[in-house]
Amino acid sequence: MMRYLAALAVLVGFAIMPEVIGEYYVEIMILFMINLILASSFRLITTCGDWSLSHVVFMGVGAYATALLAKFLGWPFWGTVLLGGMASAVIGLAVVFPLLRTKGFGFFIGSFALGEFVRLIWVKFHFPFGGPRGMIGIPSIELSDIDFYEAIPYYYLVLLFTIACLAILYRIDLSRTGKVLKAIYADEDLSRCIGINVARYRAMAFSVSAFFAGIAGVLLAHRLGAIDPKNFDVNTMVYLVIWVVVGGVGSFWGPLIGVAVMMLVGEAARPLAEWRPLLFGGILIVFLTLLPGGLDSLMSKVREMLDKRTADGTEKI
Amino acid sequence: MDWPTFIQSISNAVILGSIYATVAVGLALAFGVMQMANFAHGEFFMAGAYVVYVFYALGGMPFPAAVISAFPVVAALGVVTERFVFRPTRGNVLAGFMATAGVAFILQVIVGQVWGVGLMRSVPTPYMGAASILGAQVSWQRLIILPSTLVMVGGLWFFLHRVKLGKALRACAQDVEAASLQGININKITALSMAISGGFAGVAGALMAPINAVTPYMGHSIIVTAFIVVIVGGMASIEGSILAAFILGFIHTFVTTLFDAVLATMAGVAFMAIILVVKPTGLLGRVRM
Amino acid sequence: MAILEVKNLSKNFGGLMANRDLDLEVEEGEIRGVIGPNGAGKTTFFNVISGVYKPSGGTIKFDGTLISNLSPDKIAGLGVVRTFQRVALFPNFTVLENVNIGRHLHARESLFGAVFGMSKQKEIENLEKSRQIVDFLGMTEHQDELASNLPYGLQRALNVAIALATEPRLLMLDEPVAGMNPTETAEMTRIIRLIRDEMGMTVMLVEHDMRTVMNLCDKITVIDFGEKLAEGLPQEIRANKDVIEAYLGAEDIVA
Repeated sequence: MMRYLAALAVLVGFAIMPEVIGEYYVEIMILFMINLILASSFRLITTCGDWSLSHVVFMGVGAYATALLAKFLGWPFWGTVLLGGMASAVIGLAVVFPLLRTKGFGFFIGSFALGEFVRLIWVKFHFPFGGPRGMIGIPSIELSDIDFYEAIPYYYLVLLFTIACLAILYRIDLSRTGKVLKAIYADEDLSRCIGINVARYRAMAFSVSAFFAGIAGVLLAHRLGAIDPKNFDVNTMVYLVIWVVVGGVGSFWGPLIGVAVMMLVGEAARPLAEWRPLLFGGILIVFLTLLPGGLDSLMSKVREMLDKRTADGTEKI
Repeated sequence: MDWPTFIQSISNAVILGSIYATVAVGLALAFGVMQMANFAHGEFFMAGAYVVYVFYALGGMPFPAAVISAFPVVAALGVVTERFVFRPTRGNVLAGFMATAGVAFILQVIVGQVWGVGLMRSVPTPYMGAASILGAQVSWQRLIILPSTLVMVGGLWFFLHRVKLGKALRACAQDVEAASLQGININKITALSMAISGGFAGVAGALMAPINAVTPYMGHSIIVTAFIVVIVGGMASIEGSILAAFILGFIHTFVTTLFDAVLATMAGVAFMAIILVVKPTGLLGRVRM
Repeated sequence: MAILEVKNLSKNFGGLMANRDLDLEVEEGEIRGVIGPNGAGKTTFFNVISGVYKPSGGTIKFDGTLISNLSPDKIAGLGVVRTFQRVALFPNFTVLENVNIGRHLHARESLFGAVFGMSKQKEIENLEKSRQIVDFLGMTEHQDELASNLPYGLQRALNVAIALATEPRLLMLDEPVAGMNPTETAEMTRIIRLIRDEMGMTVMLVEHDMRTVMNLCDKITVIDFGEKLAEGLPQEIRANKDVIEAYLGAEDIVA
């Protein structure tokens, strides 16, 4: 009951937020929600033990796909968003195929290199990707007379997508499929011997998470109106890693908390200007060396302590 | 491709392979001991180039002395990284690797803030002119890389096989537990291997300083290649990474000459993907990644 | 007809012959023991049959189907499931969740099904079946505990429970009573017998504890230096000269 109330409160909060905060913060919130989709989809692959360093590239695949479809073919938003996600999922399958023979660190590095391969295609081909300068003039969205060029309508559109994507990812996490992925991470040999097709599940996790990263890319491209290969390079990837590491991947909520906390820190640290990456680098090191489970593990520790307290202090009803 | 271009490309490939080898050997060495995977290795390379920029271009030190001093300076960075990043994350390769991405950020910011982010720092060429090899012109500046690599890799081989401390390092790479039972101080060895690893990256960067664009972000381009080399060679295999370095040197040079640099990088990545599918242990590696 | 037919099975690692020309047939409904001195190649034999290793030579047929070159998950899908010598479980799952993961082969969940809750009925059935198995192993009171918090004996029992949840036709147990105290051993022996008698599964086990093997098994195969040394009823094995010789110094053969 408490849980539903909390969820309702968060939803209401998000719904009335644009009325309360200024336009600048509405733009920040749009980015924030897109990043939530990105980080949450990233967690899906990490649950089976595969940390991918190519995840932002799949956001790029969605962004480029939508840019091409909207700009050159004049596709409507519903078409670009679906095809953007699908394109990411399909390219994700192609990328993960050679990686299935690797594990852990090899997977990490291999995904990094193959992600670079995809990204370099955009750098290499001026037609149609615009080369290193990328693509500009991506049309904004128009749906039944609402102009989504304005920040507030776009905010609600992104909110809708964020709720849908997170809900689906949450369902997957709790489902048998989500459990199978965690089982693969915990004991691959045992998983195999009880009939789990490990390669198939890893490929599926990769592809599905690429799909959602693609959706995030679609939403990003329509908002920015211009994209270039640098948006999706290893630097961006390291920021995604920082969010996820700070939040922790132990639970569904970890990466979401990570994005929220680190975007707040980023805003607060604006006066540091060019010194900011140093702060982020430092935070990354501190978390990995001192709190490898992230904020999420800290919270579950606190919760455990509280539980013990109540268990000791009160009788069971 | 005409004959002079061909010879030119061959010599370029060998020299590029030498640089890759110097960088990748350090990476493989550190990975071999306690699985330290250094994401900041490219920034160590960058730091080496800045040592030459500061000591030689700004400070007026002779070029060879500046290159040599890159070794201890960057080795020190390696030791610090080992102490504050790899040691606390020991046993978790990914954590160490991601944490060194933080180190990379920190080094980029510091170098950028001290010496400027914008335009590249120019390092004047200390050795003008070019040697004529079978009708091709190879600048002296590039040519000195070859003997430097030979000396460094040879020195490393001598150290690992003939010096007691080096043998201890190899013992550690083979079996940490057995090594520590023999009384080898593991922390000392991991620090040492990061020092050597850093020193190698530093010298490679120093040698490339007059050739490459010296910027705080120059590590990006080398780190992708270095990791491809190490994966192709077989993680933790020094011999494998040397072999793979020259293969990549040839792929990059020839594809660049025939087509362009972007395609060359893509070819390198594609080559790695093929190796991963066909032989996941890498060319000379034993451990499957 | 034999449910498991192994012919001329060999497995070598480099120059080392871990299994050499092994022949073995297990009848449906049998409890078969595989014994042998340490390093005789018993675990390798299990690993090859379950698909963890590829055989270097020879064939393995399960219920007439050639399985020698299949992957472990395919072999499990055909009904051959093994446990491990080590404690192999999913430490962050509860006991019931562990067993329920073992129901993987009986779940028909698609991704869309997962999102829209379409496999609900099937999952209720799976959970019910998992509860029965937990109950069967006498672990009902522990079903909501994390597997990592269980004492050793119960963790070993959970290993068996996970394998049982797949409803195999041939269950292969790798040292099921290793490290257990006498009470736990007796309980596990009783359970293994029930698995055959009540669930109708064929059981093949590798075990060091001679008393358990002699008590439990219908037939015993002895492996030494990777080769089959002897095969027969427990009393025949007990009396076999070669076997006694191979075990010379290990008095527990007659215990």
